[in-house]
Amino acid sequence: MATAGAQSEPQVQDRYGRSAAGLKVPKHPTWCPGCGNYAIWGAIKLGLEGTKYPKEKTVICYDVGCSGNMADFNAYYGFHSLHGRALPAAVGTKLANHELKILVVIGDGGCYGEGGTHFLNLMRGNHDICILVHDNHRYSLTTGQMSPTTDKGIKTKSTPEGSIEEPMNPMAIAISNHATFIAREFAGNIPKLGSRITEGLNHVGFSLIDVLQPCPVFNPAQSYDWYREHMIQLEDEGHDPSDRLKAWKQATRSDKLPIGLFVKEEKPAYHQQVSELATGPLVNKNIASVDLASLVKDFQ
Amino acid sequence: MANELNWKVAGFAGEGIMTTGLLFSKTCARHGMSIFDYTEYPSLIRGGHNTYQVYANTSGAFAQRKMVDVLVALNRNSLSFHKDELSSDSLVIYDQDDDKVDINDYALPCQVFNLPMVKLAIDSGGQRLMANNVILGASVYFFGMSLDILLTVITAVFQDKGESVVKLNAGAALAGYEYAKAHAKPIMQIDKGPFEQYLTATGNEAISLGALAGGLQFYAAYPMTPSSSILHYLSATAKQTNIVVKHAEDEISAINMACGASFAGARAMVGTSGGGFCYMTEGLGLAGIAELPLVVFEGMRPGPALGMPTWTAQGDLGFILNASQDEFPRFVLTPGDAQEAFELTRIALELAEKYQTLVMLVSDKYLSESRLTFKLESTVFKNKRQAFNGNPQPDESGFFPRYLESENGVSPRTIPGTAGGTYIANSYEHDKYGLAAEEGSIRLEQMDKRFRKFDAMRSEVPRQYEEREAGAEVTLVSFGSTKGVIRAARTLLKKDGIPTNTLNLSWIWPFPKDQVKDIIGNGRPIVVEGNKQGQLARLIAQETGMMINDYIRRYDGRPFYAEDIASEVKKLV
Repeated sequence: MATAGAQSEPQVQDRYGRSAAGLKVPKHPTWCPGCGNYAIWGAIKLGLEGTKYPKEKTVICYDVGCSGNMADFNAYYGFHSLHGRALPAAVGTKLANHELKILVVIGDGGCYGEGGTHFLNLMRGNHDICILVHDNHRYSLTTGQMSPTTDKGIKTKSTPEGSIEEPMNPMAIAISNHATFIAREFAGNIPKLGSRITEGLNHVGFSLIDVLQPCPVFNPAQSYDWYREHMIQLEDEGHDPSDRLKAWKQATRSDKLPIGLFVKEEKPAYHQQVSELATGPLVNKNIASVDLASLVKDFQ
Repeated sequence: MANELNWKVAGFAGEGIMTTGLLFSKTCARHGMSIFDYTEYPSLIRGGHNTYQVYANTSGAFAQRKMVDVLVALNRNSLSFHKDELSSDSLVIYDQDDDKVDINDYALPCQVFNLPMVKLAIDSGGQRLMANNVILGASVYFFGMSLDILLTVITAVFQDKGESVVKLNAGAALAGYEYAKAHAKPIMQIDKGPFEQYLTATGNEAISLGALAGGLQFYAAYPMTPSSSILHYLSATAKQTNIVVKHAEDEISAINMACGASFAGARAMVGTSGGGFCYMTEGLGLAGIAELPLVVFEGMRPGPALGMPTWTAQGDLGFILNASQDEFPRFVLTPGDAQEAFELTRIALELAEKYQTLVMLVSDKYLSESRLTFKLESTVFKNKRQAFNGNPQPDESGFFPRYLESENGVSPRTIPGTAGGTYIANSYEHDKYGLAAEEGSIRLEQMDKRFRKFDAMRSEVPRQYEEREAGAEVTLVSFGSTKGVIRAARTLLKKDGIPTNTLNLSWIWPFPKDQVKDIIGNGRPIVVEGNKQGQLARLIAQETGMMINDYIRRYDGRPFYAEDIASEVKKLV
């Protein structure tokens, strides 16, 4: 819609011609041509719309990286955190107001590297946040160094002779470490990723969606076609998301890249187990008048 | 009648020394005395040498005193480690039967009293640990204090554990009192004081109460001495106060969670010590640039790195003033006693919200873990929510201009959940909507807007604690916890005919430069501080241009003693 004075809206429509709301923003994407972020961006909009949740009650916490740069392109309340710290920022936001739905937009570097300890520990608490990891197996914003998910032996700017480390397996870790919604999807399938994001946002608890994202500039070998050749769909394998052991076997396969929902388990979320939050969100607590009388008697 | 006493219990960690000390302290408080309790312990759970010292005074206790009236020695080390704190007037209480010591080996300069504490505890129907109550009974006798008051304290402390527990503890206390009475005379008769309506709390407890009074809603921390007791207190009382306390996986998480909670509209605070504060520094800048209200408590201990975990220091001042990338306006508050710890923490939460920025609240092991007397005029505290826009209108961009320029630099913020208030809280430099911006003009606009707040912040700084005396040539200048010990030192100096002035800074940033210039400009300042390089002296020189030539510094992990300050001042004048 081109009205006088307004900037034209970028053309992000899915293959069914559905346009996403929340696109009317003053800034336009700065990603490279062919970047998987365009597709994920579109899927996020579909995913957020799919929840039918009030827009002002939805918060996106962004990490630092190419993915986090979409903070400027979504007309939602946003928190563009420090590198690796989007998870604790999201958890703090959620604990302060558990009526908010929270999506975390983060990269493989931020989630599995810089913020690895938050990833490991916050999933144990089943904090009710949905984490979308833009997993392109590189640090791309800093021009292409290895990341925690880079395969062993890959030459990058920081590993000119090939990386020595084995890649992290975030699916297997999450399966072993109490995450309650664990999925992997492909950036090249916007409708499927979009509906998975809706499911993740609607799941009450820690939901992890690892998105295989091509980076044509710094990781051209793992292209859209490469992924399509290597992926298999968990649905086609008859996988049951209530079976963690089978999910772990799928996650640790070396022959193929399984895509889909690995695990889904209903368990109380962190904020549901904090007795102080039983009466409503923390931000609604009235502090206009605080009486310390019952506490003070211990000091007399 | 005597108006002050100094009592110390020493022994192995794990023997209940902290509880015994606390009960004796409460007994003194209920005699209307003002209290200063000081503890020493190593970074161990069991076996190290622990002490708990209660200095009580009917006209005001400001610091621990060196020379003890009664030393309760629970093991052999206790008999040899504290010899230089004993005078000919002191009394040492020990248990000959339990430890089989030859007391003459220790050549103590004072009288001793053999109290069969373990035997009396067991004979009165209790267990070995009840010996602590025997000690309390005997101690109360020797100071000529009221046994009834001690029994009231024991009842109050143990009543939650049931009547039989109260009875056992009270029985042991009575046995101690009667045994002492049958074998010796009191060493003094303590008068009652006027402080009965006062409270006694550790610095950290006062900080916790102050935070709650200031409307604290979210506290996140990772344990680190000497800040952990705030985490413990706020967790233990959370069911009553309905705040959320989160023990995070590390300090980085703690501060980022607090930033998230603040973004969502909760009054948020974190607490740590120097090492954890190092981890938090990136988050300080986040609060600064995103203009998120945040209170960060830092309890100092000697460093660098792990340093000496359970000892005291004031060596992080320079770091705290500057910690973060680049620059943003912050408050740095350094309370000097329990009263200020309470008040300044309450105010810190208010200031953070009012100016949408970082407030550093700085203590040290000495203040955080010592117990002091303070007063609350009322238990009810009012809080006004400030600098919010509850009915925002987005402009044509679809976003709300949350960082719009304003006269004093504060722009009303919105919180998620409020329709029309959409903006980005951004760790990157940003425009008025919070959208990332690298244009020089926007950078200048936002940086200058943030620093415009600093002028208003400066106007918040009240008159600092100051005392003058006629004919004084020197002014003792300090910050934070050194306040009380300087008050005590001035009393000693006055007795020796040396009048002094004093200035203690509890609002150290924005630096009250006019006050400092005014107060020390005409006299001779002696800066007393707990670090090696004179960080306060350097700050004074930086802010006022006045060079400090005379100073007293301590950095061995021990607190200043009034006696030592007095003798150092005598050398300087």
